[in-house]
Amino acid sequence: MIVLQERYRVAAVLLLLAVLHFVLRPFMGDFRAAPDLLLLALLVFAIRARPGEAAVAGFVVGLLVDALTPVAFGAGALAHTVVGYLAAWGKAVFFAENVVVSAGFFFVGSWIRDVLVLVVGRHMDSSALVWQLTVWSPLKALTTAIAGAVVLLAFRRWLHMRSRT
Amino acid sequence: MTFAPDSFSSRRDTIAFVVCLILSFGARLAPPVVQNAAAETIGRTILAPFLYLQEQSEVIKASRGRYAEVITLRDSVLVRALATTGLEEENERLRALLGLSSQLRVGHVSAQVLHQSSPASGLLALLSAGANDGVTPRAPVVAEDGLVGVVQSVGPDRSVALLWTHPDFRVSAMTRDGSVFGIVAPRGSEGPNTMLLELRGVPYQQQVPLGTVVYTSGLGGRSGVYPRGIPIGTIIAVGDEREGWSRTYVVRAAVHPAAVGHVIVITGTSVDVANAFVGAVR
Repeated sequence: MIVLQERYRVAAVLLLLAVLHFVLRPFMGDFRAAPDLLLLALLVFAIRARPGEAAVAGFVVGLLVDALTPVAFGAGALAHTVVGYLAAWGKAVFFAENVVVSAGFFFVGSWIRDVLVLVVGRHMDSSALVWQLTVWSPLKALTTAIAGAVVLLAFRRWLHMRSRT
Repeated sequence: MTFAPDSFSSRRDTIAFVVCLILSFGARLAPPVVQNAAAETIGRTILAPFLYLQEQSEVIKASRGRYAEVITLRDSVLVRALATTGLEEENERLRALLGLSSQLRVGHVSAQVLHQSSPASGLLALLSAGANDGVTPRAPVVAEDGLVGVVQSVGPDRSVALLWTHPDFRVSAMTRDGSVFGIVAPRGSEGPNTMLLELRGVPYQQQVPLGTVVYTSGLGGRSGVYPRGIPIGTIIAVGDEREGWSRTYVVRAAVHPAAVGHVIVITGTSVDVANAFVGAVR
């Protein structure tokens, strides 16, 4: 019963992130640097799920992202699948129930996702790709990591996070 | 709560991962028709409520943040419209005297740009208007200052626009006096916030001064995509030169897609809309 209740709480946080991703997007300024709350929801799920479950969740989130920006359909699915799987696997290895470590996870996950989408998509010329990966993607990864830390602190009881190292 | 088991990854996890990878590659390699159909279906079903929320947020943001600006713009347009009525009547009368047919009317549909988080969002934009609003494929998308892109695919309530930053984007262009023609295409990025275009194929003997504004040429007649006279950008440098044949000019775009929140989709494109953008490109 308690496990079921905890699952509902995590699901509520994930749904809230998904809704906020769309509702807050117009107010987050330049979309290239705005936090990606959909990816954050995936990573929050991934660090408390089995790698296989995280891969499936990543695939679903990736398909949604591809449907929103169908430049290279499938690239997002592939990137999110890999990031979800690696995040779940990495959590099992590094034990990331710590806000700071998790924020680092979110930063790396966001940046790797961008690298994979752009490399698999092959829709940007080299100069634009370099600027995207060295300026905009790190900025987005940073804002996503900060947003992730805020979410983990705000819902630390529900998500069972430790606020100190 | 931790769902993860003691073991890092079981065979079941690996199989799930591999299956998802194969499905992703399948989606990537699927024909564009299938990809577009899948994207449209997902957008119309699972994403519909979320996109509706984003659209409402965009409207709230626009109405709060741009209220004064919009009122000022509306008033100036109103004044111009009052003056235009007399001109239209005079134009019709002169056309009748010369035996010309009536001037074609340009239609338009207003739409919000629903920016997304994907790193590829700078190449395509989701618009909040679709076939139900009168948007058709290949309709030009413009903002207050000039050309933004062209509609690529249309769903019932939303459409996807290919922006000028996309490598596949091309538009026939000319200078305002119509003396120089060429093809404008994206050139790449010269900084984190500086995407440029280039005007290609300008005959070598024709020199275009820096600072010249480039417009859509409208070539293609009634079957053409872009009407004549939409500002594309300003020439800022001479690019490549093919000795004795042609020059390429570097163009700074009139509109940066990242800064656009509201666009107009033009319908009925076989008209000259040059006067609609007077003073837009500085």
